[in-house]
Amino acid sequence: MEDKEERIETPLVAIVIDATPAKKFASQAIIDNGSTMMNRIFDALIGFGNAHLMQGSHNKLAVIACNSKSTKFLYPSENGDSKSYHNRPGQYDMFAKVDSDIRHGLSELILKDSIDHDSTTSDSLLGGAMARALCHIHKIQRELSLSHQLKPRILVVSGSSDSALQYMTFMNVFFTAQKENVVIDCCMMDSDSGLLQQGCDITGGQYLRIPTVVGLLEYLLWVFLPGPSCRSKIVLPPPTKVDYRAACFCHHKLVDIGWVCSVCLSIFCKFSIICTTCNTEFKLNRPAIVPSKPKKRPRME
Amino acid sequence: MSVQQRTLDCKDLHSYLKTLPAAVLDRLYNHPATCLAVFRELPELSRIYIMRILFVDQAVPKAIMGSWVSPNSARELEDIVKLLTELRVWQEVEMQGGLKGWLLNPTFRRNLKGALLGGGNEWSMKPNTDADPKARGIAVLDEYAMGRWECVLHFMVGSHQHEAISSDALQILQHAGLMKKEPGDNQLSITKDGFQFLLMDTSAQVWYFLLQYLDTANSRNLDLIDCLGFLFQLSFSTLGQDYSTDSMNDGLQKFLQHLREFGLVYQRKRKDGRFYPTRLALDIAAGPKKSMLNSLNASSQATGYIVVETNYRVYAYTDSSLQVALIALFCELIYRFPNLVVGIITRESVREALKRGITADQIVSFLRQHAHSECYKEPPVLPSTIADQIKLWAIERDRFLYKDGVLYNQFDSQADFEILRNYAQERGLLVWHTLNGRKMVVTKEGHDEVRKFWKRHSRNGSM
Repeated sequence: MEDKEERIETPLVAIVIDATPAKKFASQAIIDNGSTMMNRIFDALIGFGNAHLMQGSHNKLAVIACNSKSTKFLYPSENGDSKSYHNRPGQYDMFAKVDSDIRHGLSELILKDSIDHDSTTSDSLLGGAMARALCHIHKIQRELSLSHQLKPRILVVSGSSDSALQYMTFMNVFFTAQKENVVIDCCMMDSDSGLLQQGCDITGGQYLRIPTVVGLLEYLLWVFLPGPSCRSKIVLPPPTKVDYRAACFCHHKLVDIGWVCSVCLSIFCKFSIICTTCNTEFKLNRPAIVPSKPKKRPRME
Repeated sequence: MSVQQRTLDCKDLHSYLKTLPAAVLDRLYNHPATCLAVFRELPELSRIYIMRILFVDQAVPKAIMGSWVSPNSARELEDIVKLLTELRVWQEVEMQGGLKGWLLNPTFRRNLKGALLGGGNEWSMKPNTDADPKARGIAVLDEYAMGRWECVLHFMVGSHQHEAISSDALQILQHAGLMKKEPGDNQLSITKDGFQFLLMDTSAQVWYFLLQYLDTANSRNLDLIDCLGFLFQLSFSTLGQDYSTDSMNDGLQKFLQHLREFGLVYQRKRKDGRFYPTRLALDIAAGPKKSMLNSLNASSQATGYIVVETNYRVYAYTDSSLQVALIALFCELIYRFPNLVVGIITRESVREALKRGITADQIVSFLRQHAHSECYKEPPVLPSTIADQIKLWAIERDRFLYKDGVLYNQFDSQADFEILRNYAQERGLLVWHTLNGRKMVVTKEGHDEVRKFWKRHSRNGSM
């Protein structure tokens, strides 16, 4: 007889954009009707963000971009709404703001990056940006009234391959996300990332490497627009096989077989006497083969 | 006495739009705001479908569309197809080679795309270019909106300490059947529907009220499409932003003044040239239950004020005479303090409310909706015993089942009675029968048939 009290669902999508492959795409040839590849990607991302907001009045959006130096909130923008945006005729006010915020912030970030010459070698701070996205989700969750229920997810749009340097950050992010019921989706352009595959798998999200960057918007709208609850109803691309290799803590290389600290479970590719994470000494400098004690057997008398 | 409980029919956006003629609907889609509002109210799967074909400028074959969903959701797809066709969002077309396909309504496609990416028909509501020297904060707007709206409700419950409302508002109240003039009485009195209306949540009230208002729009020489379009734009406006009235025609200006009266928009002076939408107007298109008002309720503690205990006691932390009057509809009030009213829910008090036409569900949802914020910390918000008991008291009144029928009695012999009874029973016309005294009741519709049979039977018998 007791009917369930309904809570209003509030889907939140935090888009994490990796801006480091920008250089790769910027140099690509101009396609069909005079728009560059970069513009194509910008339009796709903004279109997707607005399409999500369009789904319902309670839908929320956050956009975070990162390069190898910094992470940055594009929407809601960090410096308030002081920036003026010009409205295109017919466009909904809110969408116009999203449009200008993302376009403005992302190009600023990429331009700054291209001026810096020594940044080419380092990896992008994707893990850090995802951590910020989680913080943002947590903040929204606390601010939300009790009659609402947040349905958060993170969409990573990246084009750079694995960075084992950030292995720990990534793993922490994934497990936090899993604990907070945040789904991590990942849309890869051009290259694959084993780490992000793991993250999507752990949190029950969708990992997709798109074959062509030109079709980015179509893929985003098809695979990533529907929320997790609706995905069972539609036909999605088959799941990829997840590469569950771990990166070692000493050289940040992916290893198949390694040494594991018996105390803190840190992974090493080479044997060392002391664990660098928890400072445990491994007392293996005794005679190499310790004669094992004869096992006691229950006496049968 | 009618057995069926008549509940106030509060349509949502779609069922309202379906009542409109097709031509009106097509003209409505001429505006991005309407398209956006309609789109948002669609079920999730159909939104995905529209998103996928939004950028496809030609018809898409049915076979392809069907392959987008997994086989066990095929039923759902059928529902979607029906809904979208009814709303004229898409239509079935014959494609080359005899394939059947679906084509998105071109106007709808253009305007939805426009809302998303820009470049469609312009919104007639524009933000003012110069800043208002006397700009109003959001808090002021909220207060104003709730004040105006409560004024209407106050009038309905008949607490006359407040200013009277205009004749236009009165007309709508009467038209909606929420209040009526008793013959020989000059005063308006509240009807059964009115009581139900009072217990709805504010967004549902506003939406219901507006629907009734739009019903009378034509008689006020207002253009229904203009009004609806404006209303949808209003629902997508930004709170705290002032909008210019310059581009509005006379009809809309008049409409604006009516909205102003109910607190949906704020205007300092009639000739000010600018207005502010209030929270009441925001998101009305989302229909009852989902609008922004709920977030208002959560943020200000003024609205959540009721604590219900398992011993049927109701504590209402309020000093508003309106809220006290609402609680008194189904509660027996015991104590009254400056900021607290204590009441008790009894069988009699609930039955009294049920007699007035209020339903158990409405009472329960009212208690739940206005529950004190402390109650949310320990769910269930409303003790389930109370919710169940109120519903049981309501069911209690429905123990009688009324059916029209015709009584047959004074049979001469047991055999005659049995023949007739069996005849009626086989055809499902029998309502009730008893061997004791040989009586039976046949449904009204079946009476003719049974009588003919009886005449035939007795003629045969006498021969």
